[in-house]
Amino acid sequence: MIEFAPGNLRVPKWTRPVFMVAAGTTDYRKRYPEKKLEELCMMAFRMLLEENDLKLDPLEVKGLINFASYGEFADHFQDQLLCEAKVHDYLGLDLLPNVGIKTGGATGGSALLVGANTIASGMSDCTLVLGWERMDEVKTWTGNYYISSAACKDFETRLARNYASYYAPMARRFQEMYHVDERVRAAIAVKNRGYACHSPFAQQPGRHTIEEVLKGDIVSDPLRFLECCAMSVGSASALLCSEELAFKLTDHPVRFYIASGSHTLRAGDRRPMRIPLLPHETEEGYRWLYEEMKKQDGRWPGFESFGATRFAAYMVYRMAGIHVPIEDLDLVETHDAFTISDLQTYGDVGLTLYGREQDYVTSGECYLKNPHSGRPGKCPANLSGGLLGTMHAVGATGIFQCGEVLWQLQNKYDKFHGDPAMWTRFGKKKPADWESLQVRNPRRGLAISHAGVGSHVTCAVLEKV
Amino acid sequence: MNDRVTLRTSPSKIDVVNAAWVLHFPRFGEEGTHYHTYGQLTPYFKGLTEGHLLATRCTNPRCPIGKGKGELWLPPRADCPDCHQPMVWEEVRDPHGYIYAYTYVERGGTGLEIECPYYQIDVKMEGVGTIVKSYLLDRRPIRIGDKVRARFRTGENATHTCLDLCFELM
Repeated sequence: MIEFAPGNLRVPKWTRPVFMVAAGTTDYRKRYPEKKLEELCMMAFRMLLEENDLKLDPLEVKGLINFASYGEFADHFQDQLLCEAKVHDYLGLDLLPNVGIKTGGATGGSALLVGANTIASGMSDCTLVLGWERMDEVKTWTGNYYISSAACKDFETRLARNYASYYAPMARRFQEMYHVDERVRAAIAVKNRGYACHSPFAQQPGRHTIEEVLKGDIVSDPLRFLECCAMSVGSASALLCSEELAFKLTDHPVRFYIASGSHTLRAGDRRPMRIPLLPHETEEGYRWLYEEMKKQDGRWPGFESFGATRFAAYMVYRMAGIHVPIEDLDLVETHDAFTISDLQTYGDVGLTLYGREQDYVTSGECYLKNPHSGRPGKCPANLSGGLLGTMHAVGATGIFQCGEVLWQLQNKYDKFHGDPAMWTRFGKKKPADWESLQVRNPRRGLAISHAGVGSHVTCAVLEKV
Repeated sequence: MNDRVTLRTSPSKIDVVNAAWVLHFPRFGEEGTHYHTYGQLTPYFKGLTEGHLLATRCTNPRCPIGKGKGELWLPPRADCPDCHQPMVWEEVRDPHGYIYAYTYVERGGTGLEIECPYYQIDVKMEGVGTIVKSYLLDRRPIRIGDKVRARFRTGENATHTCLDLCFELM
């Protein structure tokens, strides 16, 4: 049992608000021999400075930067320690201070968390947050071994050396506990890979069917190939500012809130505890779930849920004044490294109740257009294409997700995804059946950056002002 | 294919430094070997090679969670996370439990020593607070709830790693 002392549950109180004004990205590829890592970072930096309709010239904007927060998942992949120094120098930001942040799959989110704190504290008025990963220097199965170094080396890494095999038991347990039809997981893969078809940045777009997903080769039972993200190369960036500077740079700044949580590296070490309640939840509302858990020797968060995600959501909703997530949020980017992690997360962030995640996905509210009603879904998920369809260049991922939410809130989905020149830039042709995935007048979005089997998670809320 | 899972590995070399086992983990030949200590968890790994499953328990009466009779930790840890006092070792007698979660691993990453395909299983054992990840010797279809008992790679068969603990269906 974990019990919090009241002091542990203090909600973060920033001394001044934080804003996001611009974002940038490369496209994402399994292999990217055309560009060195720092050259990819330059692409993401230039897009941030040059293509976000900022009111100052790119070099004037650069002249405002006080600090850089960099995200890189694994030195193993880059085979380069202190990569931050190479990138920082290459972007022409010496002698400004920078830090490198590492929290596994949540690295991008954590880099944003650190960047936001430099603004909130007054240390910086303008902070560059930029992340990257180059996963193509090694063969895929060696990459899988490297990633499984993010399982416990004493007790777990030798039991698979493939990260899908640490998610698969959670999928199996979740399926059993909540009687999940695996077609629901498959539908998530179909949706996100389908949305990726409209993104020029996407690595694995595809118009698949549920049957095709389920007939696919198994990576680690029950997860099929199309349910798992791929090795990825690319970079993403975001610019965080103080309020005064934000309005100097753009008429459409977005308010930025972020909080984090953490949990054990080994899922089996998660001790049972009471569910920390979100503003719209009650103990009474979960009485049935605790009863159900007793019948199945279940526990919270157990293998079914992510305590770190719940903790981060608990904090960020209170920071951002989110009372009823499904009403207050207009879109979400989940960390869909595997279909199961997408499914599990809807309960953690309170878009539905724990135990009702499957119903939430089948309700169609996580689609841009609800396939049942034909009306807009209440909170479309992963319109970017997500990790399954578009990218998981790990250190960049959390930053890319927030960039996509920023552009949605600024009504710029079409500008960044629909311009034929953007497709040409990456050697692609805009599809004839391209569709805009712009949410209609969104006000708030959520982005979840997630590591390990839930070891580190950040939840960011972006809000149009 | 055998109906029993086997390993494709040879025993890892160990140094015994005072009471600790230090595992040799070659990366780039002899010169590029990592020397990884099991530190105060050495009794656990040594125990496996002798056919014993050792866990730890907090017995500090002032521990806010365990209150002097905490649950068993497996994997063990030397210090209690709740009161920070050293825990005590205790053998799990006749170690058995049931499959709490599992996956059938069709393919693993580079260097995997377990012969694919195999079941990676999470085992819930009575009296143990945590759920132990391991692998199953059997290849026939399984379900959550199936009962399993621990098996050990001992003596000359020992790898000196977590692979020395495995399970078989009861």
